[in-house]
Amino acid sequence: MNRFLVGMASEIPEGSKKIIQAEGRSVGIYNIEGQYYALRNTCPHQGAELCSGITASYITSNGPGDFAYEREGELVRCPWHQWEFDIKTGCMITDPKMRTKTYDVTVERYDVSVEENQLYVHI
Amino acid sequence: MAISESKTPEKKVRMKRSIIDCDVHHLAPVSAIKDNLPRFYRDQIDLWGWRLPGPIYLNGGVQGLTVDSTPPDGSNPTGGRGDMEYLRTQHMDPFNVEYGILTGSDYSFQASPDPDYAAALCSALNDYTIEHWTSKDSRLKGSAFIAKQDPLLAAKEIDRIGSHPDMVQVIVASGAEKPYGNRFYHPIYEACVRHNLPFNIHVLTEGLGINTGPTGAGYVTYYPEYRAARPQVMMAHLASFIFEGVFEKFPTLKVVLQEAGAFWIAPFLWKLDADWKSLRFQTPWVKKAPSEYFRSNVRVTSQPIEAPPSTELFQQMMKAVYADECMMYCSDFPHWDFDSPLLTFPKLDDATWERIFYQNAADLYELPARRIEQGGTQV
Repeated sequence: MNRFLVGMASEIPEGSKKIIQAEGRSVGIYNIEGQYYALRNTCPHQGAELCSGITASYITSNGPGDFAYEREGELVRCPWHQWEFDIKTGCMITDPKMRTKTYDVTVERYDVSVEENQLYVHI
Repeated sequence: MAISESKTPEKKVRMKRSIIDCDVHHLAPVSAIKDNLPRFYRDQIDLWGWRLPGPIYLNGGVQGLTVDSTPPDGSNPTGGRGDMEYLRTQHMDPFNVEYGILTGSDYSFQASPDPDYAAALCSALNDYTIEHWTSKDSRLKGSAFIAKQDPLLAAKEIDRIGSHPDMVQVIVASGAEKPYGNRFYHPIYEACVRHNLPFNIHVLTEGLGINTGPTGAGYVTYYPEYRAARPQVMMAHLASFIFEGVFEKFPTLKVVLQEAGAFWIAPFLWKLDADWKSLRFQTPWVKKAPSEYFRSNVRVTSQPIEAPPSTELFQQMMKAVYADECMMYCSDFPHWDFDSPLLTFPKLDDATWERIFYQNAADLYELPARRIEQGGTQV
């Protein structure tokens, strides 16, 4: 498994993402409440750049007219057909068997002199 | 023993096992029930006529009926030789119909702008069906007409008649002011669930009276166009039930789609499922894929079944519409596009035949298993 430098942690504040190239693959790195998650930037449906889609919450309901927002910012909707994927697992919401690849992300704190942490994605 | 003389030669019974026919049109025109209406409506009819929207543009056969249903004396076949004797000798006996679900012959009140009048007609027709039909032959079961123009009046009629043992479903025409999943209609479904009655949508009255046009593109000219438009209307109703969340609100409600064909349902469900994947968050109360709701809550009757160019394709389409679970045979007797139980379907495997020609309907309408002399198990 190789590790690839994503950049400084400060480049991806909470609720945002960064898309990088690693070993010829496009990968989206998300910061959800201080934790980092990496998703293959490819929708398993028709190959759109998944991570360029809208970051969204999971909307649930008890019936027509009722809308509840759960898991703030934990879903990505594909830019083409708006299929929803769980950023933490890569699984599609309506059909969890359909998934995009996920990767581990680590934070390395060696560049302390400038108080910058470096993110690595493991592919 | 007295020898009884039969006017119509008896057809030999050809069906080995008995069947349930889910669409038998019995003679029940509004003209037959005038005496059962409140005085106010009788007076109106005397003064101004029936004031009901007219029939569809054209039809097939002889005024919509099979040619051999014209009485031998040549009298006007309007309404059909759907009389009891004709129904028994020409259909129930020869085709070994264990149960026939009666679906009436006149739906004009389903397009009337006057909900009170429509409700009065429905009540009188329902009583007529019980008095003149179901009480005279235990094989016959009735469908309760309701004034869908006013769902509260409709629910009242369901509460009045719905627990009668011979009423096995509620019936409306597919022509409507709003698609049937709309919350406007929900009091009807509360009543259906209360009495454990399926809600049957039978094609007719699209584009008539208060109902919307027969197609989204406007009015059609010829009858084949009108028939071609029926699945469009049924599609709107089916999507409406699913996306308005009716089956989440009423999980035990069963809906029957009648006489708009069956195989269009396959690509339509594929489309609904695909769109649900993309648009789930717009209607988050829709918890399951649309095809799942179809399987659990919707049934479709067979006639007029489409004719794929090969038996192989036919079988695939049957699989694609979950026919084993969801399809019920019907003939549409005595209408001209009648589907014979003997020859309409290609050879089906035994289990599938049993589901479609008997068990799916028996389950839905809570009818007994076929009697032992009919090839069944019930003594």
